[in-house]
Amino acid sequence: MENKVYLEMRNIKKSFNGVKVLKGVSLQVQKGEVHALLGENGAGKSTLMNILGGVHQPDSGSITIEGRDVKMSDPRESKANGVSFIHQELNVVPDLMVYENLFLGTEIKNKFGFLHVEEMCRQTADILGRLGVDIHPKSYVRELDNSYKQFIEIAKSLLHKSELIIMDEPTSSLADHEVERLFTFIRNLKETGVSIIYISHKLKEIEEICDRFTVLRDGELAGAGIVKEFKLDQITKLMVGKAISNERFEHKEIQDTVLLEVNNLSTEGLYKNINFSVKAGEVVGFTGLAGDGRTELFESIFGYRKKYTGQIKVRGQVLKIDHPQKAVKAKIGFVPKNRKENAIIKDLSVIHNMSLSSLSKFNRNGLLDQSLERKRFRYYKDLLNIKVHDPNITIDKLSGGNQQKVMLAKWLEADPDILIFDNPTQGIDVGAKQEIYEQILALAAMGKAIIILSSEAPEILRLCQRIYVMYQGEIVSSFNGNRATEDMIMSYATGAKREDEQIG
Amino acid sequence: MNRLANPELKEPAKQGSAMGSAKSRLTWIWSEYSVIIAFVIIFILAAIVSPRFLDINNQLNILMQVSIIGIVALGMTVVMLSGGIDLSVGSVLALVGVLTVLALNATGSILVGILTALASGVIIGLLNGLLVAKGKIASFIATLGMMAGARSIALYIAEGGSISGEVSGFTAIANTELWVIDVPIIIFILMAVLVYMLMHKTSFGRHVYALGSNEKAALLSAIRVDRVKIAVYSLAGLLVSVAAIIETSRLNSISSSSSGMQYELDAIAAVIIGGTRMTGGRGKVIGTFFGVLILGILNNMMNLMNVSPHLQGFVKGAIIIVAVVFQKRE
Repeated sequence: MENKVYLEMRNIKKSFNGVKVLKGVSLQVQKGEVHALLGENGAGKSTLMNILGGVHQPDSGSITIEGRDVKMSDPRESKANGVSFIHQELNVVPDLMVYENLFLGTEIKNKFGFLHVEEMCRQTADILGRLGVDIHPKSYVRELDNSYKQFIEIAKSLLHKSELIIMDEPTSSLADHEVERLFTFIRNLKETGVSIIYISHKLKEIEEICDRFTVLRDGELAGAGIVKEFKLDQITKLMVGKAISNERFEHKEIQDTVLLEVNNLSTEGLYKNINFSVKAGEVVGFTGLAGDGRTELFESIFGYRKKYTGQIKVRGQVLKIDHPQKAVKAKIGFVPKNRKENAIIKDLSVIHNMSLSSLSKFNRNGLLDQSLERKRFRYYKDLLNIKVHDPNITIDKLSGGNQQKVMLAKWLEADPDILIFDNPTQGIDVGAKQEIYEQILALAAMGKAIIILSSEAPEILRLCQRIYVMYQGEIVSSFNGNRATEDMIMSYATGAKREDEQIG
Repeated sequence: MNRLANPELKEPAKQGSAMGSAKSRLTWIWSEYSVIIAFVIIFILAAIVSPRFLDINNQLNILMQVSIIGIVALGMTVVMLSGGIDLSVGSVLALVGVLTVLALNATGSILVGILTALASGVIIGLLNGLLVAKGKIASFIATLGMMAGARSIALYIAEGGSISGEVSGFTAIANTELWVIDVPIIIFILMAVLVYMLMHKTSFGRHVYALGSNEKAALLSAIRVDRVKIAVYSLAGLLVSVAAIIETSRLNSISSSSSGMQYELDAIAAVIIGGTRMTGGRGKVIGTFFGVLILGILNNMMNLMNVSPHLQGFVKGAIIIVAVVFQKRE
């Protein structure tokens, strides 16, 4: 690898409405390297990248690319300078074909002004081939895995001769095997001399794929260096300003009462023959790769999906749960994954989001007692350390971690005995993650049954006393949390191993 | 570097944030109350242009004229907040009117007439709700079908013409004044207050907002989304029937071909001018109230200024577009 500086941002300052977001940050990216940009939510990463992408203008500071001074006055200019930004939410059109997506807005036309389909397909196949991706240019994007959608975006930027690609949390919606695929792809990309700025909260990924890193904290440069020369907890320390443990959590005693028992639950095409039970005070984890059916399984138990066979017993009683409201009546709560799509109501205020699932509690003669709502919110604000100045603002203005805490408050207010968390720390920074873990364990200590669904094996290992691994709709293995290792989980999750009879 | 930079930065940062909050406060006032500001501006303009505008009789006249469409628009607001639309309101108004007069003439009882109106309005609304919630038909399509169907049945029953009431006293509903204020105005304001309370102070209202903003999240929050939808369209039907009673009582007759014609457009216009988002989840009942008044004042102004009735639609259309353009600037 050549040690040539490709991009340099020097002493960038930026404030919004008088609030200093960047207080003189510098960033140096070499040609053909993968550079990790780290920091908690609100540290200024996205502002810095938006300045590079031409979305915002810096108040002061300079940007040079290969030694030339450049000014990114708008996103188009930034693109023209070889920078492309791949956002967390992918900008692909699912109902168009791969090549149509690639050439969207820059279609090649023949001399009559019609679309030159063969040429576009040829170039698409060429670019994808170079990157080692095997998809047909004429397949529809909606039929592809999420990781491929990401490749399409990246291929699109290469088509526009980008030399620096910014990836914002590229793995947040990918399953583990897709992540592997993405990393192979990134390594190929690096070989061709393209530089990558890689934003992620997942430090293991940083260790695996990145060459150097820059850490921001509160709008300032907290540190930079070569990934190999640092330990992960040193980098974490730079991000949060204090050390955070990765130890397994201590658990209180599990009680004898079985709160939830599931017998032979099946839904055609989603999952089959699911058997498990959860006791009061127990934290149980479900993990697996994408398509393992765990989300669908618990959506059924929560009544979001109705067509299932088998038996669900809550506190020993067989229940037919065909609507989430019945689940809530049976004292089951569910914090779904993909917060934005499934959990928050972005037009409602923070307080109203908190009370949404337990409005009957606030009912006084048919009218809502809004002062009681405010009072309850203040309670949760202190309990969960929710950072919000004015709880009457709409919830979408909060950071991901705080939104998730409000969702937690919402379900605490509904007061379930069984609480299901699907990917509870998706897109949340390290500090907030820790707080959410502590709350989950506090709930278990209060005698609630906790179920955690996560694709991140380390998260499951840290939190759970019992771990179920799913593969293609079946539980293929179960472990005692203290004895399980990541390797054991992975070998079952990938379908490499299975032990049908140990389930129970 | 930290130690040097921080003390210097503190002061301007504070000032800046004070300025920033003043600015954000201003934008907040604008985004919350832009309809009212627009209303005040139009009101003042109207008063300047035409001295007769401020006359108390003219003011009451405006309120009287908007009361029917206003009541319909209140129901439309609820439907649109839930993320739907109800195109059938005009036709349903005509059908309910026809059924009301039939019941009135058959029994001679005003009470039976009113109950018939309310029941038929709710039933038709319920049907809309079932089509949307259980039949999973897009509200635009379901209510478009209802719009054609209801009008057709009204025409069939009344053989294409008008039918008149034969019971004396029925006309009193719309033609009585309490002190100086006409009863329809009172009903409109009362309905506005009730719908306001319902949407902003009860769990039903909260559920409607949640549904309009994010249906899947609302369902996963254990809200009975289907029932909320059915209730929303039933409520719209109920309000249409209240409007139908006033419309029928005003002239003691209802025309199966022309009554309620294009009311859906006026109602949607009022809701949009009032700042409710087409896709649901955001908007206010007060906004619709002032949206209705703005439309009424514009009509009145144009009449006072002798603008050709053929041009009035153009002005209305332009106002809707201008209103939406301004609301986008948040």
